[in-house]
Amino acid sequence: MTCTIESKERGGIINPMYTCQPAGGQYASIGVKDCIPLVHGGQGCTMFVRLLFAQHFKENFAVASSSVHEEAAVFGGTKRIVEGVEVLARRYPELRVIPIITTCSTEVIGDDIEGTITACYKMLAKEFPGRTIHLVPVHTPSFKGSQVSGYDEAVKSLVKTLAKKEQPAGKLNVFPGWVNPGDVAELKFYLDEMGVDGTILMDTGRFDSPMLPDKSLQTEGSTTVEDLQGTANAIGSIALARYEGAGAADYLKNEFGVPCIHSPTAYGIANTDTLLRNISQLTGKPIPESLVWERGRALNALTDLAHMFFADKKVAIFGHPDMVIGLAQFCMEVEMKPVLLLFGDDNGRYKRDPRVAELKKANLDFDMEIVCNADLWELERRIKEKTIELDLIMGHSKGRYIAIDANIPMVRVGFPTFDRAGLQRHPTIGYRGAMQLGETIANTLFAHMEYTKDREWILNTW
Amino acid sequence: MGSKVDDLFDYVQERCLWQFHSRTWDRSENIDGIIGKAIDLLAGREPAADTPAERCFVADAKVMVADFRSRFPWIREASETEVTEVLGGLRDRLTDLAITRSRNHELTHTLY
Amino acid sequence: MPMVLLECDQDIPERERHIYFKAPGEDSRDYLPAANAPTIPGTLSERGCSFCGAKLVIGGVLKDTIQMIHGPLGCAYDTWHTKRYPSDNGHFQLKYSWSTDMKESHIVFGGEKRLEKCMHEAFDAMPEIKRMVVYTTCPTALIGDDVKAVVKKVTAARTDVDIFTVECPGFAGVSQSKGHHVLNIGWVSEKVGTVEPEITSEYTINFIGDYNIQGDTDVLQRYWDRLGIQVIAHFTGNSTYDACRSMHRAKLNVVNCARSAGYIANELKRLYGIPRLDIDSWGFNYMAEAIRKVASFFGLEEKAEELIAEETAKWKPQLDWYKERLQGKKMAIWTGGPRLWHWTKAVEDDLGVEVVAMSSKFGHEEDFEKVIARGRNGTYYIDDPNELEFFEIMDKAKPDIIFTGPRVGDLVKKLHIPYVNGHAYHNGPYMGFEGFVNMARDMYNATHNPLFRLAAIDIRDDRALLVEEAA
Repeated sequence: MTCTIESKERGGIINPMYTCQPAGGQYASIGVKDCIPLVHGGQGCTMFVRLLFAQHFKENFAVASSSVHEEAAVFGGTKRIVEGVEVLARRYPELRVIPIITTCSTEVIGDDIEGTITACYKMLAKEFPGRTIHLVPVHTPSFKGSQVSGYDEAVKSLVKTLAKKEQPAGKLNVFPGWVNPGDVAELKFYLDEMGVDGTILMDTGRFDSPMLPDKSLQTEGSTTVEDLQGTANAIGSIALARYEGAGAADYLKNEFGVPCIHSPTAYGIANTDTLLRNISQLTGKPIPESLVWERGRALNALTDLAHMFFADKKVAIFGHPDMVIGLAQFCMEVEMKPVLLLFGDDNGRYKRDPRVAELKKANLDFDMEIVCNADLWELERRIKEKTIELDLIMGHSKGRYIAIDANIPMVRVGFPTFDRAGLQRHPTIGYRGAMQLGETIANTLFAHMEYTKDREWILNTW
Repeated sequence: MGSKVDDLFDYVQERCLWQFHSRTWDRSENIDGIIGKAIDLLAGREPAADTPAERCFVADAKVMVADFRSRFPWIREASETEVTEVLGGLRDRLTDLAITRSRNHELTHTLY
Repeated sequence: MPMVLLECDQDIPERERHIYFKAPGEDSRDYLPAANAPTIPGTLSERGCSFCGAKLVIGGVLKDTIQMIHGPLGCAYDTWHTKRYPSDNGHFQLKYSWSTDMKESHIVFGGEKRLEKCMHEAFDAMPEIKRMVVYTTCPTALIGDDVKAVVKKVTAARTDVDIFTVECPGFAGVSQSKGHHVLNIGWVSEKVGTVEPEITSEYTINFIGDYNIQGDTDVLQRYWDRLGIQVIAHFTGNSTYDACRSMHRAKLNVVNCARSAGYIANELKRLYGIPRLDIDSWGFNYMAEAIRKVASFFGLEEKAEELIAEETAKWKPQLDWYKERLQGKKMAIWTGGPRLWHWTKAVEDDLGVEVVAMSSKFGHEEDFEKVIARGRNGTYYIDDPNELEFFEIMDKAKPDIIFTGPRVGDLVKKLHIPYVNGHAYHNGPYMGFEGFVNMARDMYNATHNPLFRLAAIDIRDDRALLVEEAA
């Protein structure tokens, strides 16, 4: 039984699994407080991404566009950046950070972003003396990588632009990757329990925001300029996603000597164990009894499910690469068989990923197929051609019709999950995430058994 | 007569999309065509409907005339001369609004 | 005070040209918001791009057609799962999106070979599909790929397929609107007249500018069926590619959305002498009027009156029930353009609802002529609105309900204002008699949602609790 890794043979895409780099740049940027990114490109590059965020979070996020029209496309659009920065600065007095996110059009035209930023700083100094607005160049041409690398690039660029060496602050940088508010809450809970002062990059906790009597808007990122500046003075960095934020952690290590650990993405029990040990190692703080109990509760819950219901269930997983790998590891912990893993872009590093190497070396009792640069047709085709049999699909909502049409139970996880309510506020990482995800899988399988009248009577006595 | 034109004008403003078609020539064709058919109908004549365009004008005019009759009792009593005069006034008002004084920059584009 | 410079626009005074407040006693001919004009960078405009105007709004509705998007993957991802236009063949058009997944090497060396390969792959993957629309995007337009030459090659190699090309990169024009235009004109010039339809009735129409949002087309189709009218093509709700190639054979073009598809109706008039009849499909009053006009064109008046009487008897009592409860509610319409003028009188006449503010993302001056003619005094009419303007207008106009998209809907929730999806509907269809009852029901359920009353309470405030208890 083996694990094979290959790339999609077709050149084109039928049903993309990811969107393009600027979307990732925008996702990282909205995690910063008092920040409105300015996307330098056509208006669709902004409008659709704002809609995508709204679909997933059921919240509105501010993202501006330089509104590149034909004239700018032909004669260059840098003037529109300067104008956009000035308009933003004037109309949003609390604004402190403007990431300038490029797109395919403006990268093809070759607009000089760094030079334009210099011009913008001159304009800002003249028009807004005494006010500091940080401009962050984020190069995210859509014809390279995907939303995944776009996110990584933006986090790295924000850190590079803002990090400032000062006195050691004793804080821990945590780069969780492209995760949900529920995951950020889980991480904060661990840091609190361990007495660790941490900086989450990006802190998306307030993306889960209230309706308040005073009608105020609270939906915003919580990572401040000071947080980003202080990353250079941390006692260490933990990067939970190799392809989403780890680049920034590496930069801090190389540039400022901030020790850095690439911790496995914290899906499942063992990966969370490693995370807590790594936090403990970097900070010197012990793992408290309370987390031993957390872990125990998750194990207790999952044990009810694993060998009775989950064992031998064949699963396909698609989504962000770190999440897919993490979920595959989690599935194996609960005796499921992740037979097909799909990564949605052509990043050559996936094939060399040490976690993938481990899967290849492992003595699997089933065949696992990993497809890089995959689209969702890779999944649909295998189902239609019956070259694969699945008991469960795990992935984001863009794959919903595959599951619906093939009548295969599907658990929504990752980004975006717009066809299910409230998933963004539930953790999928950490012990609680493992427990809740396991229970969601079980309930999805149970509902399917009832709906298809497939041994639904088993549950009579469970 | 002015207030009668006002009545009809306000009605057309609120209900008739044909006054605001894309280009000057469309608007002018529609206004002249439909008002012309409406005069026929109000005068009790069967309007000519020999071409598809004419049939379309009649379709629009019929609905408008039925509404005129139900909303403005005076029009039921009006003589043909008065009808022609009031609807002529309406046509002028519409032409003034939708063409002559329209601030729509696209009206005179030569292409659609 | 005709044109308005809002407080939030003090630093971008050119916005004054785009915002009109209709006041009594003024001659509205003197004022018309500037529209279809460039957007000011950094304003947080709500506009999309012209590519999406072509693909997502019109071409992507075709239920039997591969939508090949020649560009990076984002353009395909973004214009997929963002619309609610079903079809009667299992929603093929909702399920798939195609991209040539353009990479840097294609930017450098050209993407034509890539496009050709992807087109063959797409046909091979779904051998039952024989129709395709190819779209250029910003980068493929900038590098100058000769898409039409590739289409010619693929068509030569596959004799049973037909392919249409839309060259409309996102940066073209100033909004979605340019994409509507390019697709309309391209289609009528290249594809209309290339298929002869089977004629089954002497009464034939094209129904133009309806995209079967939540089944709108189905509702209207039932009316045409009742009248014995054959719809040669819906442009493009629940439509096939070939049906839209045979539009030249209809005797009448019935136009709903004049913004996105008025162009093709104009061209069909010019080229084939088919008259253009503009109607409103939303609202009781309007729907009856539309049916009367279409029927009158064909001399089917009696059948029309029967149909209207029957539908009215069936749905009017329900409509009136809602009207009684919605009377006097204030509404804002924050959508694309045409729905402003389609809806403002319809909700006023049929439901007693006052529209107090309206904004259009991509409407032209023509749309503002229509809506200002129809709309109320004391109402704001705004072109290409931005986010700060939205807050200020909401504060001034104080609507009880907003028809807008989900993102703005998520925003207004925080302001304790309910939203109904003005693009894709909450629980449609909204067209036709039954559709307008659906719309009224959604408005009623939104404005009577108890959660908004609860949201206003601060639980720390004893008096608020007492007042609530007493009430």
